[in-house]
Amino acid sequence: MRYLLLMYQQEAVMRNLPKETAREVHGAYMAYLDALKKAGVLVANHGLQPTSAAATVRAPNGKAVVLNGPFAETKEQLAGYFLIDVPDLDSALSWAERNPTASHGAVEVRPVWG
Amino acid sequence: MQYMLMIFVNEARYPKLTPAEREQGTAAYSAYTEALKKAGVLNGGSRLQPTSAATTVRVANGKSQVLNGPYADSKEQLGGYYMIDVPDLDAALSWAARCPGASHGVVEIRPVWTM
Repeated sequence: MRYLLLMYQQEAVMRNLPKETAREVHGAYMAYLDALKKAGVLVANHGLQPTSAAATVRAPNGKAVVLNGPFAETKEQLAGYFLIDVPDLDSALSWAERNPTASHGAVEVRPVWG
Repeated sequence: MQYMLMIFVNEARYPKLTPAEREQGTAAYSAYTEALKKAGVLNGGSRLQPTSAATTVRVANGKSQVLNGPYADSKEQLGGYYMIDVPDLDAALSWAARCPGASHGVVEIRPVWTM
């Protein structure tokens, strides 16, 4: 069963971490990525550029309207995702808990169709 | 350059669709996916189960808090995404405009960090 782990973090906080802390955080993500790979559960992962680089498109009558910025303004912002393949929700939740974002933000777990 | 196209739609509408409308919707997404593949720009994607199946996890002081539901409540909900690889933002925007989600919801585009 595939689950998408969506990572919500405060962009401004993450961007302004002291160098040493930023290095530690990076190390934690590398270790997490490595653990997912070793467990053979990683399908895909990407880190997203900040919401300042986002645009939204609506084309209700075939005419596209483009706006700068993300769809939703939230306290924490989507920073990336891991797509994993695990037997059930419990194991997805335990991988979500181990995700470094869970300790400084929130991880949303969503099952994927098919 | 890789972009994530996130599709936000009102999921409450889906159960109210007639079978014909549902079929039409599926066909529109299949045609769009096919067009992305033919153009050689598709690099993954997923269709998500509704937010009623979502769980949100936070860990504070080593203790984990698990809550039912999505991270954020919004008028439209993340229903799926495509990863595409295109030369620039303009190309990403034009693919986003062609996405069926853009006509009944909104498509957010985010560039991806390359590692």
